[in-house]
Amino acid sequence: MKKMLKKSALAAASLGLAASVLAGCNDKKEAGNADEFKGKITIWDGPRWPDEEENKFHWLEAKIKEYEEAHEGVEIELVQVPWAEMGDKLGVAIAGKAWPDIAPVDISGSAVSIDHIEQGVIESMDNYLDKKEKEDFYENALDAYTYDGKLYGIPNSITLHSMLLNLDLFEEAGVEPPKDGNWTYDEFLQAAEKLTFDRDGDGKMDVYGFSTYILPGYYEAWPFFYKNGGSPLNEDMTEFTFDSPEVVKAIQDLADLKLKQKVAPETLGGNDVGGTFQAWANEEQRTVAMEPWATWAIGAAQGAYPTNFAVANYPTGDSKEPVTIGGVGGWVMMHQDDANKRAAVADFMKFISTADEQYHMAQHYGIFPARVSAAEMDPFKDNPQMTRAMEMSDQVVMLPRHPEWRKIDEAIQNELQLVFNGEKTAEQAMADAKKAVDKIIK
Amino acid sequence: MKKKPLDRLNKFIIFALLSIFAVVSLLPLYWVFSTSLQLSSYQSMDMERPVSYVDSNPPKMYPMGIPLYFEHWKGEREAKKAGDAELEAYHQAQMDHIVSNTFGSFKSLFKKHDVGKWFFNSLYIAVVVTVGILLIDSMAGYVLAKKRFPGRNLIFWIIISTMMIPGQVTLVPLFIMVGNLNLMDTHWALILPDLSMVFGVFLMRQFMYSIPDELLEAAKMDGASEWRTFWTVVLPLAKPGLAALGIFTFMNVWNSFLWPIIVLNTAELYTLPVGLKTLQDANLASFKLLMSGAAVAAIPMIIVFILFQRYFVQGLTLGGVKE
Amino acid sequence: MTQMPMGAVPKKKEEKMKLFRKPNKNLFRQMKKNYSAYLFLLPKLILFTLFVAIPVVWAFILSFQKYKVFGSEFIGLKNYIEVFQSDAFWIALKNTLLFTVVTVPFGVISALVLSTLIFELGKLSQSLFRSAFYLPTVTSMVIIAMVWRWMYNYDFGLFNYVLGWFGVGPVNWLGQSNTALWALIIMQCLIPFGVGIIMYLASMGSISQSLYEAARMDGASKFKQWIHITIPLLKPTTLYLVLLSTIGSFQVFTQIIMMTGGGPGSATETLVHLIYKTGFRDFDFGLAGAQSVVLFVIILIFSVIQFRVLRHDE
Repeated sequence: MKKMLKKSALAAASLGLAASVLAGCNDKKEAGNADEFKGKITIWDGPRWPDEEENKFHWLEAKIKEYEEAHEGVEIELVQVPWAEMGDKLGVAIAGKAWPDIAPVDISGSAVSIDHIEQGVIESMDNYLDKKEKEDFYENALDAYTYDGKLYGIPNSITLHSMLLNLDLFEEAGVEPPKDGNWTYDEFLQAAEKLTFDRDGDGKMDVYGFSTYILPGYYEAWPFFYKNGGSPLNEDMTEFTFDSPEVVKAIQDLADLKLKQKVAPETLGGNDVGGTFQAWANEEQRTVAMEPWATWAIGAAQGAYPTNFAVANYPTGDSKEPVTIGGVGGWVMMHQDDANKRAAVADFMKFISTADEQYHMAQHYGIFPARVSAAEMDPFKDNPQMTRAMEMSDQVVMLPRHPEWRKIDEAIQNELQLVFNGEKTAEQAMADAKKAVDKIIK
Repeated sequence: MKKKPLDRLNKFIIFALLSIFAVVSLLPLYWVFSTSLQLSSYQSMDMERPVSYVDSNPPKMYPMGIPLYFEHWKGEREAKKAGDAELEAYHQAQMDHIVSNTFGSFKSLFKKHDVGKWFFNSLYIAVVVTVGILLIDSMAGYVLAKKRFPGRNLIFWIIISTMMIPGQVTLVPLFIMVGNLNLMDTHWALILPDLSMVFGVFLMRQFMYSIPDELLEAAKMDGASEWRTFWTVVLPLAKPGLAALGIFTFMNVWNSFLWPIIVLNTAELYTLPVGLKTLQDANLASFKLLMSGAAVAAIPMIIVFILFQRYFVQGLTLGGVKE
Repeated sequence: MTQMPMGAVPKKKEEKMKLFRKPNKNLFRQMKKNYSAYLFLLPKLILFTLFVAIPVVWAFILSFQKYKVFGSEFIGLKNYIEVFQSDAFWIALKNTLLFTVVTVPFGVISALVLSTLIFELGKLSQSLFRSAFYLPTVTSMVIIAMVWRWMYNYDFGLFNYVLGWFGVGPVNWLGQSNTALWALIIMQCLIPFGVGIIMYLASMGSISQSLYEAARMDGASKFKQWIHITIPLLKPTTLYLVLLSTIGSFQVFTQIIMMTGGGPGSATETLVHLIYKTGFRDFDFGLAGAQSVVLFVIILIFSVIQFRVLRHDE
């Protein structure tokens, strides 16, 4: 009896060994050899920070040059795509089978979706990053690029949304900004009321307390909807749950800032992204005191639109916990036929994702590194606003990763627009959204 | 013939009425230019904070820099007379500021954004397509109108029937096609499909009909080759038709939007309309800047229109000629 | 009489017959003799086949497929069923129809009235107004949409300022479901139909003066002349303009993507914007193909009806 057990254990072990050897063998063949690759690699990137000649692609251009010099026979082509177009353009390129080898996107569904992974358009990085290398990345950063247990891409940055407060307007209205950026929704509302004022006494408000916009693919307003708890879909993503009472109340609260309390301009919940930003940041306007934005806006308000501002959490609701929505940026590799090229592409992706590069990028570009070792170099020593925003990292919740998220998102955001222009109550709108979303999920 | 006074009054009323409509219809275009030159930041001595006339309410209907500049110019002269050097310097500085602010957005368009490149791309593509269309379509139109050969009617009707099909139908397959031909994100992806438009064949065929057969016969008698006949006899006679087709092609290509926005990825390759949309999408562009870009895109078409107005009319009414 | 401009081709009867002629015995000899004609046609034919003919056929095939990056599969009529079952399609159709039904008659009638007025004037003023009304047409819709978006701006827009004179508003033109589509319709109506004006003017010029003289002798007023002579004789032009602007209006897109993105909600969703979204944002090429085939059929039906109605008594 004992003997048999031992034997079978041995057999099982050897079988396992054989399997793993086989798998390893297979992996090796799949993994290819980077050194044997000669040819062209195409990479897309958006404008990052400028050098003296206003060239916003200089960082990657320099890295490409460096890599090409070290690897004879490898040519890397950079395609410059504006960020606002990146998602649409990449989707179009994938559909037309004219994809680049490397693209600066995540797999959350804005440009590349789970559906693409299932179709085999995205290459897994598992063969090229060992466990030790992976350990240097923040777990939520890796999670954002992981599907079905496999890693698809290398995270290079974490972004999140935060409240930006124009301190000049706070001072003018005699309002204290929230201590350490922590506040409840009631405190936020009080501030917004005081920050809505008529400067020249003509009976029209010159400054409003708060504004933001609602548009598919944008989530500046969404952390407000999470303030009492809740999420768009349930755990296993089979049901729409944004119609729960706590979410409905949160949505209505935010819309009421304009509809009832009148501390937000008529354009709250509109679709004008640029106009909303200009209203907060353009020194010729500055008609809104508080707006939520992604971290790029911090860089803009420190650079192109110099503003005296502070970063704060989203106000807390019934759940008492501050929440924000975040995203993880990085590089993904698109489908490759040639194993050696696959290895070379992975090699280059790693080359531009080292801790030093991420530190460099964080310092200049207003994003947070995805590597622990890069963050430990303290890139925001002299940047209190970015430091404050980085503190919000542990408040981040991620959006559901459903293959049809784009459609679901659109159905929800369309209904939200109707709440903010007062045509529907939040309850009605979310009931209608449920109908539309459940149809998509089915 | 003497005109009756009533007739004159009638004409005056009509003229006035039409003028009102014309002003309304030209207003948006006027506003593009007015806003592109609007003063976006101004602060005089007695103002607490700078004002912007771009988004002021009520809207300013003309560039405020003009009256303000004049005011400071007067102020400067008075200060000079009074010997107030400080005040003179103030007015001088204000004048400088007004000038640089008024034209500032054009400067930054070309310096910070790719507008110069986009302008060149649009121009280059429009010229290539226009020249190509003129040649290819007049060749096709000529034989379809003047030659008898098997399959002529069939070819013509197949080509013409596709004119009925809205462009959106072929958007997706055309896109996949361009991808398969490896033309994605190149200017060829714009040029080749534009060269395939069928409208010109139809227009040129219509036009070639009016060329007398006798002239062609005569050329043949003189022993001219087909190509020579086409080049030396047909084309010169078709000049008005070519002018009309050329202008329409240029205008269509210059203004086209949907297709370029789909196939172009690289910002450097953008045409003006696509570039303008990305400017509007990028949150950092002020309205003054957008309108300056719009002005840059509108000016060439306005010039083309003013110069070749006659041919626009001709092209539109072609076929309206009596049989 | 005026020919329908750019419309029907002047065709002699005998020529029409040729289409149905029996195949010729010496077809090949005929073709050989005319080889130069084929050479002249060749460039256009190649381009046409590659970038028009094949895509048209392909669009049709696509509409029966589920598009996948690696290998699409045929799914029969599923895409068409989905088109007709989705609310989005019906909303888009309704919006597009409303847009068309208001803007097309308005555009054509206003072009007729304006050109009648212009025609009364002297040569110089004629060409002046012709230019004034045509100039906005040569400007890209992208630019026009950008300005109008600003004119409709809630805070600084011209419209709300003018409304303010009458103590009305302000109105959130593009932000409300009940005004957004109408805002786009008003915009379309206020962009002069330049093509229409030019074509009407040309057609009016070719109406024989003797007809009017005869009418004057009978003591017909100017208005009566207009109703009984001008309008009937302009019918072919009207038909052409109605067809042209209907087709154009069914394809309304640029304003949508530049000004509203189809919102708020789906208040300004139109068919072409829906096709664009389905194809190039959701990448459901099969469904987009089916939508565009349906759009084509709708346009075709409309064109045939208009052709029948307006040609009726010719």
